[in-house]
Amino acid sequence: MDNLVILCFAVINSIALLALISLGLAVIFGMMRVINFAHGEFIMLGGYATVIANHCGLNLWLSMLVVAPMFVALIGAVAERLIVRRLYGHLVTTMLATWGLSLFLIGAVTAIFGNTTMGVSAPLGNIPIGAYSIGAYQLFLIGITALLVVSALLALHWTKYGLIARAAMQNSEMAATLGINCDRVYAATFIIGAAISGLAGALLAPISGVLPHMGAAYVARAFVTVISGGGALITGFLSAATILGPVEALLSYFATPVLGQASLLLLAVIILRLFPTGVSSLWIGGR
Amino acid sequence: MKLSRRSFLGTSAALSAASIAGSFAGGAWAASDSVAIASLHDLSGPLDIYGVPSNLCMKVAVEEINAAGGLLGKKVELKVYDGQSDINKYPQYAQKAALTDRVVMVQGALSGAAREATRPVLRKYKIPFIYGSFYEGGLCEKNTFCVNTGGNQQVVPLLEWTFKNLGKKLYYIASDYNAPRNFGIWNHVMAKREGGQVLADDYYPLDVTDFTAAITKIQAAKPDVVHSCLVGGPAMSFYRQWAAAGMLKKIPIISIVFAAGNEHEVLAPEETDGTIVAYNYFQELDTPKNKEFLAKVEAVAGKNHPYINGEVFGGYSGVMLWAEAVKLAGSFEREAVLAALESGIRWEGPAGVMTTNGPSHNTTQDVHIIKVENRVWSLIDKKEQIPPDTYGGKCNVFTNPNQTDFLMPN
Repeated sequence: MDNLVILCFAVINSIALLALISLGLAVIFGMMRVINFAHGEFIMLGGYATVIANHCGLNLWLSMLVVAPMFVALIGAVAERLIVRRLYGHLVTTMLATWGLSLFLIGAVTAIFGNTTMGVSAPLGNIPIGAYSIGAYQLFLIGITALLVVSALLALHWTKYGLIARAAMQNSEMAATLGINCDRVYAATFIIGAAISGLAGALLAPISGVLPHMGAAYVARAFVTVISGGGALITGFLSAATILGPVEALLSYFATPVLGQASLLLLAVIILRLFPTGVSSLWIGGR
Repeated sequence: MKLSRRSFLGTSAALSAASIAGSFAGGAWAASDSVAIASLHDLSGPLDIYGVPSNLCMKVAVEEINAAGGLLGKKVELKVYDGQSDINKYPQYAQKAALTDRVVMVQGALSGAAREATRPVLRKYKIPFIYGSFYEGGLCEKNTFCVNTGGNQQVVPLLEWTFKNLGKKLYYIASDYNAPRNFGIWNHVMAKREGGQVLADDYYPLDVTDFTAAITKIQAAKPDVVHSCLVGGPAMSFYRQWAAAGMLKKIPIISIVFAAGNEHEVLAPEETDGTIVAYNYFQELDTPKNKEFLAKVEAVAGKNHPYINGEVFGGYSGVMLWAEAVKLAGSFEREAVLAALESGIRWEGPAGVMTTNGPSHNTTQDVHIIKVENRVWSLIDKKEQIPPDTYGGKCNVFTNPNQTDFLMPN
């Protein structure tokens, strides 16, 4: 019995981690069609902001939930203003430019903090489940990921900003004729996406530590999840995470971790072969 | 740049004069008053946590030798190369050390990949290679001398102690590359010998940071002890998550790589307390010789020098053993120095007595089993004078002088 509970926990944890690292990317890529190669570095900066703020004596929760997203939002705002804004609509050029940004951020962080791991300890202790025990912080992580996803869904579909944002994304000319400042909407969306990525990095810092080149480990998985999800912004990547996460976790558990990782990629290939525009084309049609 | 004919001629004349002078000066160490050795370590990039302190230890050894009047009346000069954590740099710099700087010995190339890239170059130019890192064992090559511990010297004492004191059921979790897989073979060798049991061999890619499934698996297997050979920054997540799941106080962790990258300083005490490792050297070692050594380290690198662990200590012991061999040989020539090393050089240093072992080209030494508490290591057991493994007699440069391949334990 406790065996089953702990296995369910591993599966849900795997889904939550995929969702957490993909949400910021889903907002930026899904809404703006901007391929942000610096996504992994936004996560990394969120982690660093948390660790540095905490080492400077700030409360861990404040560092994670306030300082990190605000700091990365600031970086996102600067990057949008200086680079991304000039390249809207140029898919390949944006890709190159954000890749350059990613290399720059890795280099800058390495130059300032050195190429060594830093970290903070996970708070909250542990919870015994029968003969097993799990980190309470990981439960918190699952909870906050669910909260983030639900609020993103609500904000997008039930608020005025969500409506304006969707309008600007779907048909910017029409939206502009109706008096919407599309540039501002784009900027705000990019900044929000960056802030969410920063928050993801902050939340991951206590369990994985921070390294200048840690983004690379996340960016590929985030892209795989978002692209397998397809057109429906939130439900799309969430369903992809729900398919990919359990397969990886279960295969890592019953077979080997290498097989788990490989299966995630193989499954993404199969999904994209069956649904070239992502799984969400099942319920929103192939756009 | 505007290049006039005159300045071009001037520059090229100066360049060729310099290169001619260079080749004369370089070839003439026999007549000059100094002799060069090379430190080839990663001083930047992800592996600099091992390279920088190893290079520091070589520097300490060279300064000690020079302060005592040098070697055979010559001052030892340390040529330092930065491998930049880039394998491509190793053959290039090894060649430069051999041809341009005319060094008489090269030490470094700590990672397995760097070592394998460097060995053939130095073999070709007949420059002795001192290997200072601990490793899986089984390198028995004429041109190479390993001064740190091989697999059997670290794993055997650690597992003997573990099976006796912590329990018989062992769970192995490791990074997925060559050395941890070879160390993994030793688990099975030792389990068979000591009546223990290896419950699983789990290998994780180097970039994995989520160990939830791994920890669940270990909890389900209920081992008496976890043997970790996880390497690198991302893998440190395992220790964080292990502690967060409350496992640190329930199942002890043993390791032969933990702390080589100073994990005990990067991670918090509540994530590492109680971890047990085995090394030939650790900084807290309480001997008069070690106090002298640490004073010299402080003199070179200041009070806040990096922690000196068993991995980087090879930088010091390697140079000192080589120097003893030079003194015995009365020469810097390759053949004479190797013959002296093969004769069994006995040197008493900060880590106790070390004796070079002729046939295997490895080194007999003490190994300390130590435990960390609040970032400080303390001694729990000591195994004296452990010889390198003979690999059933195959590890022998006298009978197999042309052997260059690695040997595997049986």
